[in-house]
Amino acid sequence: MKRIGVFVCHCGINIAGTVDVKKVVETLKGYSGIVHAEDYMFVCSEPGQALIRDTIKQKQLDAIVVAACSPSLHEATFRRVAQDAGLNPYQCEMANIREQCSWVHQADKEGATQKAVRIVRSLVEAVRYNEDLEPITVPVTRRAVVVGAGIAGIKAALDIADAGHEVLLIERNPSIGGRMIQLSETFPTLDCSQCILTPKMVAASRHPKIKILTYHEVVEISGFVGNFKVKLLKKPRYVKEGTCNLCNKCIEVCPVVVPSEFDMGLAWRKAIYLPFPQAVPSVFTLDEKSCLGLDPIRCGKCAEVCTPKAIDFDMGPEVFEVEAGAVVVATGFDLYPMSKLGEYGGEKYEDVINGLEFERILSASGPTGGQVRRPSDGRVPKDVVFIQCAGSRDPENHMPYCSKICCMYTAKHAMLYKHRVHDGNAHVFYIDVRTGGKDFEEFYQRAVEEDRVNYIRGKVSKVFKQGDKIVVWGVDTLSGKKVEVKADLVVLALPLVPSAGTEELFRKLRLSTNKHGFIQEAHPKLRPVEHPNSGFYLAGVAQGPKDIPEAVAQASGAAGKVGALFSAAELLREPTTAEVNDLCDGCAFCVDPCPVQAVTLVEYARDGEMKKKVEVNQALCLGCGVCMATCPKKGIAVRNFTADRFLSMVDAMLTD
Amino acid sequence: MEIPYYPGCTLKIKAMALDQSTVAAFGALGVSLKELPRWTCCGAVYPLTAKKIAGLAAPIRILREAKMMGSDTVVTACAFCYNVLKRANKDFTADPLRKKRINAYLADDVRVDETTGEKIREWPEYAGAEDVKVLHLLEFLRDRIGFHKIPVKKPLRGLRVAPYYGCTLLRPAKEIGLDDPERPTIMHDLLRSLGAEPIDFPFLNECCASFLSLTEPERALRPSYLIMSSAEAEGAQAIAVSCPLCYYNMEARQLEIRERYPDFKGMPVFYFTELLALGLGVTLDQAIGWKEHSVDVRRLLESAGLIDKGDAAPSQGPCRAKEEEPGRARPRGAAPVDAA
Repeated sequence: MKRIGVFVCHCGINIAGTVDVKKVVETLKGYSGIVHAEDYMFVCSEPGQALIRDTIKQKQLDAIVVAACSPSLHEATFRRVAQDAGLNPYQCEMANIREQCSWVHQADKEGATQKAVRIVRSLVEAVRYNEDLEPITVPVTRRAVVVGAGIAGIKAALDIADAGHEVLLIERNPSIGGRMIQLSETFPTLDCSQCILTPKMVAASRHPKIKILTYHEVVEISGFVGNFKVKLLKKPRYVKEGTCNLCNKCIEVCPVVVPSEFDMGLAWRKAIYLPFPQAVPSVFTLDEKSCLGLDPIRCGKCAEVCTPKAIDFDMGPEVFEVEAGAVVVATGFDLYPMSKLGEYGGEKYEDVINGLEFERILSASGPTGGQVRRPSDGRVPKDVVFIQCAGSRDPENHMPYCSKICCMYTAKHAMLYKHRVHDGNAHVFYIDVRTGGKDFEEFYQRAVEEDRVNYIRGKVSKVFKQGDKIVVWGVDTLSGKKVEVKADLVVLALPLVPSAGTEELFRKLRLSTNKHGFIQEAHPKLRPVEHPNSGFYLAGVAQGPKDIPEAVAQASGAAGKVGALFSAAELLREPTTAEVNDLCDGCAFCVDPCPVQAVTLVEYARDGEMKKKVEVNQALCLGCGVCMATCPKKGIAVRNFTADRFLSMVDAMLTD
Repeated sequence: MEIPYYPGCTLKIKAMALDQSTVAAFGALGVSLKELPRWTCCGAVYPLTAKKIAGLAAPIRILREAKMMGSDTVVTACAFCYNVLKRANKDFTADPLRKKRINAYLADDVRVDETTGEKIREWPEYAGAEDVKVLHLLEFLRDRIGFHKIPVKKPLRGLRVAPYYGCTLLRPAKEIGLDDPERPTIMHDLLRSLGAEPIDFPFLNECCASFLSLTEPERALRPSYLIMSSAEAEGAQAIAVSCPLCYYNMEARQLEIRERYPDFKGMPVFYFTELLALGLGVTLDQAIGWKEHSVDVRRLLESAGLIDKGDAAPSQGPCRAKEEEPGRARPRGAAPVDAA
């Protein structure tokens, strides 16, 4: 029988304040197989680890159970201690008597103590069944796929590439640049967004290690960390990259005019277009949705005038597969739909616009060349109302969360407006002004004090049109008075939401999100750039609302994690995977339920007879145990998670 | 088609025009509205005291009555009654304990058998929304009949009507769910199907002042003024409502409003069912509740070709006379305006 040692941690008063640890140790001493049991103040401390190491050697222990916190925190610590003392690391188990016992039973010390004994006993049973296991090694493909080429994706791609690894930068739009390329100036320094982003875009396009795939979409990602297979869809842009010389002749003859996505619908583009002058790659795209049917008989004017013959109506979508070792998800954001803000006249009045539309109006490359003019009649607005939290922090009707960047960009909007319209008035309705960031508070104070922006603390109740004015009704909660502003233009600071289509993409990639669709990080504080599914990394607003500096920092963090992953010669995988034994008769019940298609049915000949049996691909298997649950004959089991082990654990838990 | 109909108290006293035009219009549609044999006040305002049972007893008793008529639906024309019945039904259905207690409470009712005169104490248990659904007649028209299937005989062509929704027809939106509370369209769609031109205006879902008319009648004038002048500014000739209280605030008190706000020229107010009845070709005395119209509606209906010049239309309510001699008479039910 295995000689088992148990170490019970006080964790200060976290455990010992509720669980009588001395009593737990005394009760366990007689339990079958336990040759050593003791308690210690902080087992995870250096002396605590030394204690375990020494005891294993002195008492010639075969296995240990550490009764302390959750294995997600310290299992790795104690398995290394066991290994240092000469044991196989899988001969160490943790009994969670903190999160699952002392913290939740503070009112019942007696009961908590009994429960702690049961938890430890069941882990003693578990470790009794544990076999020595060696990690599985797999090769790693040193190529990263970055999904989304906004500032976060570009920055992640550059950092990974600078570390010497290949990067595929995938973007579904015709150009890289994302949302940031649409912005006018950036807070808190008021430097021009395009001026600081375009050098990065050019750097990405020139980088020998980066391959930019615009107008591409991710269809599917299979495999596992270090060994992903990424299926990509290349959408036809009907213009040959490299052949098109940007002569503009096609744009001149194209008869189709549609709202420009880049200008948020405030300007027009043709069906064949370059989204903006600095687009990367610099190639025209023919939008098949608005083109007159891609039918040379119906139109084909662009192809007629194209001197280099770059237009090819016969292009079709292509699906292809690439291998990658890591995936960075940087899919960005959209704004919450204006149409849902009926109370503010969203999408009903032309002069009620959203923050991104105002960015385009302010932008030197925008539809008004940077002059502030309102969309309806092109007049210069003399009174502009900015409504903050127009949908954010509103759990009753819209989104409960804070979109984080709106306080700052509204201050910036109001400031830029005042700089351009000196006799204009900017009014900002706000709940609070949140300026958590370096130099942010000073920026906001500058808007209030130097630029005389009229900040009104209160919500807006109604926005409606009266003549050519937009009347805004609100309340000033500091004076307790109702406020009416007859405005010329109203700008709504709408919530940031995950960009359109990502919900479906994340579901296909099995990437968990929070309930608003922002992708989940592995730990909210300690692993903010990784997804729980190993090999997936996060950057930018796809993970949650954040400003440019934060998105860039997160992108660099993700790139650092990818670099660390790629620095290993080969990857180690948990050996707790499914194993097939002789009881398997090839009924194949387990084949279909396997979520990663790791189980296959094979035929073989024995004694002149054809037999069937399943096989598990150890590199793919996640050790989830679904196959075990379907097997009627105990013919397949996850290593160290066998049915006998679980039954013994349950018995130990239930026995008084 | 027969359908149980809950009129509510106001429709039998102050808003007879709504009751009369409703029954006439639906008759013309081939829908026979069967008034519940026994009914009480619904409570008029939804009781916000959660978990109490007495406040829900009245509306649930009304719904049980509809169940006993063998129907899974009860319709109502009054926006207030609709609000109370629908929310009561929803809250009752969602809370099993409250459901049990209200059913136990209502089981004590005594019923008299109409044929034998015998007193009976047996009642069916009321299960909630699965037994009876509460539909506003606008909802019934939209979902069960279809606006496009209304057989319009006399299109209201050229009539520019501002549909006014008020509060109780739309809110609380999550419980009522009739339409978008900020951008409702249901009454617009009905008016359009009748051939009228619905006039969108920003105050279509603002409060008319509601019961403030009773406690602070002077203050109550402003909201109704804002609503009607906003509709007027958008080019409306008339307002359509579904709520007797909105009607009272805007119609019965309109002379006071005009005295206080001389820039407002005055505007006829109709129940939506009156316009529906007109469109369906119901006779004028059945379609329009003449006695309850203090503002002249005849001129407008004439101009739209809905009344022939020579037609004798029944005389309107007392306010009309007052309009001719401003300052002397005052609208029915309105608080006296200080002569000074």
